[in-house]
Amino acid sequence: MYLRGFILALAFVLASCAAPGVREVTQNTQLPRHNELTKTPFFPQELYQCGPAALATALNTIDIRVTPEQLTPEVYIPSREGSLQIEMLAAARRHGALAIQIPPRLDALLQEISAGNVVVVMQNLGLSWAPTWHYAVAVGYDLDRELIWLRSGTFERLEMTLSTFERTWARSQHWAFVALPPGKLPASSGSDTVIKGLLAFEKTAPAIHTRTAYAAAVERWPDDLVLLMGLGNSSYATGDLDGAAKAFQQAIVAHPDSAAAHNNLAHVLLEQGNAKSAMQAAEKAMNLAGQDERLKSQIAETIDEIRHKAKKSNSP
Amino acid sequence: MNYIKRFFSAFVAAAFLFTGSIHTVQAAMISSEQVAASAVTSSGEQDRERIIAALSREDVQAAMVARGIDPAQAKERVAALTDEEASTVAAQIDNAPAGGNAFIGAIVLIFLVLLLTDILGFTKIFPFTRSVR
Repeated sequence: MYLRGFILALAFVLASCAAPGVREVTQNTQLPRHNELTKTPFFPQELYQCGPAALATALNTIDIRVTPEQLTPEVYIPSREGSLQIEMLAAARRHGALAIQIPPRLDALLQEISAGNVVVVMQNLGLSWAPTWHYAVAVGYDLDRELIWLRSGTFERLEMTLSTFERTWARSQHWAFVALPPGKLPASSGSDTVIKGLLAFEKTAPAIHTRTAYAAAVERWPDDLVLLMGLGNSSYATGDLDGAAKAFQQAIVAHPDSAAAHNNLAHVLLEQGNAKSAMQAAEKAMNLAGQDERLKSQIAETIDEIRHKAKKSNSP
Repeated sequence: MNYIKRFFSAFVAAAFLFTGSIHTVQAAMISSEQVAASAVTSSGEQDRERIIAALSREDVQAAMVARGIDPAQAKERVAALTDEEASTVAAQIDNAPAGGNAFIGAIVLIFLVLLLTDILGFTKIFPFTRSVR
């Protein structure tokens, strides 16, 4: 009985091997039938070094001038003759790009291309049990002819059928990302992945770029607490107190019970010379902090700071 | 020129060492990362420190050099990890068999597997000329 179920399941899996998703995509009416980003530069790869080459292609596309040779020490691991996914994302960030993974679906990938974003993809060009991992950059497609074009390895315009591409891409769990200048957002990603990308971006990016990136995201998702906090904090970091106050207030309107938003607003108000409102905001924050000890100690620090400053300004 | 270089690298090293204290100065301003992770007790900073500590061991460094990885660069890579990524790596280090070569091997392996996740990250050669259609 179990065996029969297993065979049935196996048959189902095998049947689904015929590149699922391709037919749906070719019938997708939302997508332009054809698009190719012909201006995408090309960096032919050196032996094994498709990671640096693909990354250089993606970064130069958005005018970040960097060569594969410069990227090699950052993403290439000599003894493994390859680059790791997480390092590809981290290196893109370090060079000032917002690196965001896109949803693992063919239509999402094509949507990015039609929006003008080239997509770095990971493929397994071998078999699942004898993998040949490879990074390439998808730059164009044609739904009527069921083709996709890639900057890949030593090929400036590698043509693949959508079916073949889908199979080689599926073996990496459809891993793909776009590298964008701050201020642009991927066309296909949801707020969760964008937030993840932004949180990573802000670790190394200058505050001014972080602010631009958050501002764009807030425009798309105006009620998201993390995005509003990010916009407020990065505005604060660039010295834009008014912008910071506005973002934290917007966060409070959308999330009245956010202790963090009240706390940070208190800081901005204090620096704007409004110690009284600052104290009110900080006390509100403390009331909302609940059982979170770390948050409570941070807010206590804020309150201390407000008292300290008030005392200083009272004594001549 | 050399002095400038040396001064600069000393400066960078110091900056790395002091990132901890910079964070405490700004502690009262709550970061968006903390808000995003609010439910979790996590502390990416601690995880990162644990990874750096493991990478700083002399024997681990020697093993990395032997495999063509520059230890200084390894640490920079760790600094660029997000909290989520760092905690994954730290957990792997914790689960590494303790003591002796096995430990070093495991640490180096974890780093090579860049620190993370799964085998899927590796790239390989490009002899792919399978004809289309």
